[in-house]
Amino acid sequence: MDQHIRKVYVPMTETAFYILLCLRDPNHGYGIVQKVEKLTEGAIRLTPGTMYGSLSKMEKDGVIRFVREEDKRKIYQITELGSEILEIEFERIERLYKVAQGEM
Amino acid sequence: METKKQFRWFSIFEYEKEQDYLREMHKAGWKFTKVKGFGSYHFEKCEPEDVVYQLDYNKDGLEHKEEYVKMFSDCGWEYLMDYAGYSYFRKPVSETGVAEEIFCDDESKIMMMERVLKGRMLPLLVIFLCVLLPQFILNIFNYRNYVLATFLGGILAVYIIIFSWCAVKYNKIKNKK
Repeated sequence: MDQHIRKVYVPMTETAFYILLCLRDPNHGYGIVQKVEKLTEGAIRLTPGTMYGSLSKMEKDGVIRFVREEDKRKIYQITELGSEILEIEFERIERLYKVAQGEM
Repeated sequence: METKKQFRWFSIFEYEKEQDYLREMHKAGWKFTKVKGFGSYHFEKCEPEDVVYQLDYNKDGLEHKEEYVKMFSDCGWEYLMDYAGYSYFRKPVSETGVAEEIFCDDESKIMMMERVLKGRMLPLLVIFLCVLLPQFILNIFNYRNYVLATFLGGILAVYIIIFSWCAVKYNKIKNKK
């Protein structure tokens, strides 16, 4: 894995995490906003400026790819590289959680 | 429809001030319609309302305008216009009184500032290094045209002030993280 990708995505921002998580199924930006709001019971509301900037950057970084356009909405999906770093992130979060549990 | 025009000048990193200005105007019953030329802001009379104004700077977005505007309108933002690379959006403060913004984390705010830097400062820097600075030096040491050299020196000074001011502002936001 590229050093740049590692530096930016390990660990990654909460926004990037939710985008990758949702894009295991093809979806568009607004679809991700709605899905994240539902998953977190309204705690996290992604906003369009953040969403648009993140999606273009993540596409350039090759962690997601453009699939097709539907009703003026770009649909994206996670790439193999994206899945790989999401897996690394899962392990990191799991470790954090376990450590936190042990300390309590 | 009663309209009015005001002149305001905001430098490249003062979009937050500009957003506040437009929000205050709307609260006072003046709805923003457009900005043109060198900071000529146009308004029309309206019912006073608390409406949040937000500016984005995104070249990708301008190149894929329909899809870009669609994402904002899906999220309830009204697209107004583009001006000098910035896109203007507004959304009424919701009934719960929460003023939303178009960026929800510091990383994406910094990413936008970096796009502004690249889009606006880079061309200035190129003119500075390739035109102004060599001309200034030539006029002092070769042509000994001190009138022109003083004039160029003045422009250089303004440039340096703008550059340092931007650097300070950029660091301030970056350190807030």
